[in-house]
Amino acid sequence: MNPAAIAVQEVSFAYEEAAVLEGISFRVEEGDYFVIIGPNGSGKTTLLKLLCGLLKPRAGTIRLFGAPLSRRRRKALARLAALVPQAASAEAPFRVEEFVLLGRAPHQGLLGLETPEDLAIAREAMAFTGTAHLASRRLDRLSGGERQRVLIARAVCQRPRILLLDEPTAYLDLAHQAQIMDLMEALRAERGVTVVLVSHDVNLAAMYASRMLLLAAGRILAAGPPGEVIAKGPLEAAYGCPLAVETTPGGVPRVSLVPNGRRPAGRPPPGVREVRP
Amino acid sequence: MRGWLRPALLPLALGLLVFLGAGKPQAGERRVVFDQLGRRLEVPADPRRVVALAESVTEIVFAVGRGERLVGTTRFADHPPEALRIPRVGTYIQLDIERIAALRPELCIGTRDGNPRAAVERLEALGIPVYVTHPMGLSAMLASIREIGRLLNAEGRAEELAGDLERRIARVAARAQAQGRRPRVFFQIGVDPVVSAGRGTFLHELIETAGGENAAGEAEGYPQYGAEHLVRLAPEVVVITTMTQGADFEAVRRAWGRFPNIPAVRDGRVHVVDAAVFNRPAPRLVDGLETLARLVHPAAASP
Amino acid sequence: MRTPLPIARILRVKALLLPVFAAALLAGLAWGSGGGGPGALWRSIAGLPLEDPVLADIFWKIRLPRVLLAALTGAVLSLGGLVFQALLRNPLAEPYILGISGGAAIGAILGILAGLPRFPWGSLAAFAGAMGTVGLLALFSSWRTGLGKDALLLSGVMINAFCGAVILFLISVTSDVRLFNILSWLMGDLSLAAMEQVALLAAVTAVSAAALFFLSHGMNLILLGRDTALSLGVRLEALTWALLAVTSLMVGVSVSLCGLLGFVGLVMPHLMRLLFGPDHRVLVPACVLGGGAYMIFCDLLARILPRQGEMPVGVVTALIGAPAFIFLLRRAAR
Repeated sequence: MNPAAIAVQEVSFAYEEAAVLEGISFRVEEGDYFVIIGPNGSGKTTLLKLLCGLLKPRAGTIRLFGAPLSRRRRKALARLAALVPQAASAEAPFRVEEFVLLGRAPHQGLLGLETPEDLAIAREAMAFTGTAHLASRRLDRLSGGERQRVLIARAVCQRPRILLLDEPTAYLDLAHQAQIMDLMEALRAERGVTVVLVSHDVNLAAMYASRMLLLAAGRILAAGPPGEVIAKGPLEAAYGCPLAVETTPGGVPRVSLVPNGRRPAGRPPPGVREVRP
Repeated sequence: MRGWLRPALLPLALGLLVFLGAGKPQAGERRVVFDQLGRRLEVPADPRRVVALAESVTEIVFAVGRGERLVGTTRFADHPPEALRIPRVGTYIQLDIERIAALRPELCIGTRDGNPRAAVERLEALGIPVYVTHPMGLSAMLASIREIGRLLNAEGRAEELAGDLERRIARVAARAQAQGRRPRVFFQIGVDPVVSAGRGTFLHELIETAGGENAAGEAEGYPQYGAEHLVRLAPEVVVITTMTQGADFEAVRRAWGRFPNIPAVRDGRVHVVDAAVFNRPAPRLVDGLETLARLVHPAAASP
Repeated sequence: MRTPLPIARILRVKALLLPVFAAALLAGLAWGSGGGGPGALWRSIAGLPLEDPVLADIFWKIRLPRVLLAALTGAVLSLGGLVFQALLRNPLAEPYILGISGGAAIGAILGILAGLPRFPWGSLAAFAGAMGTVGLLALFSSWRTGLGKDALLLSGVMINAFCGAVILFLISVTSDVRLFNILSWLMGDLSLAAMEQVALLAAVTAVSAAALFFLSHGMNLILLGRDTALSLGVRLEALTWALLAVTSLMVGVSVSLCGLLGFVGLVMPHLMRLLFGPDHRVLVPACVLGGGAYMIFCDLLARILPRQGEMPVGVVTALIGAPAFIFLLRRAAR
């Protein structure tokens, strides 16, 4: 059996005294579209940062492709896993092409002198993410959707085997959300990149994910295919509010909120069970 | 503090010798002198182009009758009036080395009390000898007059002047001695804040020579005073000079008037004097001394 | 190719700025209170006899060290601003921001009060002061908060403010001619430049600028934010310390020799960024040449504007710098 792209074993983490993650274990197989969901403060972002070595676990081990993460040099790690952080800062007035090229840093020497090959890779990453036409625009003057795709282009340009994204669809409209999620799917399907994504949008995640992880208060409540994770029991336990779960005609589970505990107006459609006791 | 250049003395002197040995010979004879810091320097036997690096030096050079040899002086040199026509070379603290060099002086005369040491070094590196005076008191000032007289070949005039000043100082001192009692004198230099002169300043020496006791004598240098401290000092005579001119004087006198319990205020002995004669260690300082003596011992001073 | 490779861009910037720098150098040599002018300078360079032989001394023994010192300190301060603006990701950061100026000033003032000669002992005292505050800074920011930009900035600003209070205290207890020496140092003074100081600063600048050039791509990556930089393989702690060390060293030496010259480190990096973009591999050489030329220009103004004597060059850099900075910020925001 091939080693898992990511294998997390009994990992705990705390910022000061308060524990953020406690005894987490899971695996992400190569080629997974892996989505981590959970309520605010459940430790999703912390987990993502642990996976790319930004934070060090207090206990437990994380292995990437079989080798412990703590033994890898930072630059070698950067060639393996790329991160698109939440609300990435872009104060510097870089042009899009310059910015995307910075993704080559882990493959370059100290001065980051770009070769024509680096430039070709950056162009290809921009073409792939549909940002080639933005090449000479300034990063801080892009729209939200354009910007998010450019951030992803930078990470693609890094040519990682694992791509970690923290809420890449936040603040985007429906069409742009779908665009980003489709892009991740293309990356997974065409290039075999393992995608690990943190999302608040349970339904969007359920539509794309091959596997999901539900996190609450630093513990795993459910893990597995969307059909197993998007279930009334674990979701209500995680979010602490009454929810309704249905299955769309395409076979994708959908969650909806039950407003204020009252039955939605009209009769519930078939297949929706009354959630409130 | 004395002899601040002493560690650098040997290399400097050697450097100068090397420079003189290698450079083109100057017209005219040269001779070796030691300045008031004890530094050895070679100067022209009869320097014709001289730059004074301080206002006090300018006054002394004029007083020994060699004013016409000054080709440069510092910004505030206003005495005698002829000095106003001489080109300026910056202030005595911020000297314009370039302008001094452009004046091609054969000799610069500076002062330990203000000229930056680095400026002196820069000038000497250009081959311009700098004679540094160290006028820390009345006798040192008299010595400066004699030295500058010797440097500029005006010994006679300088000796005459220095002797005359010496006699005037002695007369003041003798009268002061005869008085016995020494009134406490507060010498006020600044208006806001109030600054006085403590031990180790030539104003301190002036007050003592004039027969007073320096009320600020417990301090060193130029201490600052608040109103509370002034009342506690209880001076019997207050003498005020300020750098600023005009109406401020009256305002300062009124400020003292707020404290009628201070003996000097009660007895009407708060005086304003011309700052110019007290500011610089030059011959006019003796005028200042005589003025001070009249204010400290009014009865004794009138001949 | 739309994006020329970095070497080509660096060469282009150098080709653009070198003539400016050379022109500033020649202008700085040609004019001044002692006379001269381009014609005489040319004759002196060409080895032709001068009408006034003392001009040769003025050009080469007085003005040359001064112009070179101005160029070097301008380069150092511009580089310092560039580094700190990247490190703290704050457009208001300048080379003195972390208390380097305050510490150096305390050292220099204590040196003046102790009656030490300005060079080398006064400079050494100033340098020791600068390094002392950097040490304090390292201590404070490593206590708990780590080396985040905000921890650095807050500790630095507090150290600087405390140093300001100590400086005022020292000034208030000084009441003789040494006070003028202190003030003249605080306002920045190039007038007494000598060749040994130039040589020292030249050596420090050359080494530091080379080091910063090698760290310049790291500064590009720092601009992406802590998380992205780390995820790109940057060893952020080591890079931060290296940048701090190099910058503190060169700024400490410059401050100890030339005093405090404000706004240069604020204005030049912003101007260079506006002209050449945010790539630090281009900005490092641009700041060396641009900062050098700018400082020579300011010093020239300080020498020729006042009709009597000179103005401290720090006054000129601040008078030009503050409005220029506001203008640049507006342009950059547009």
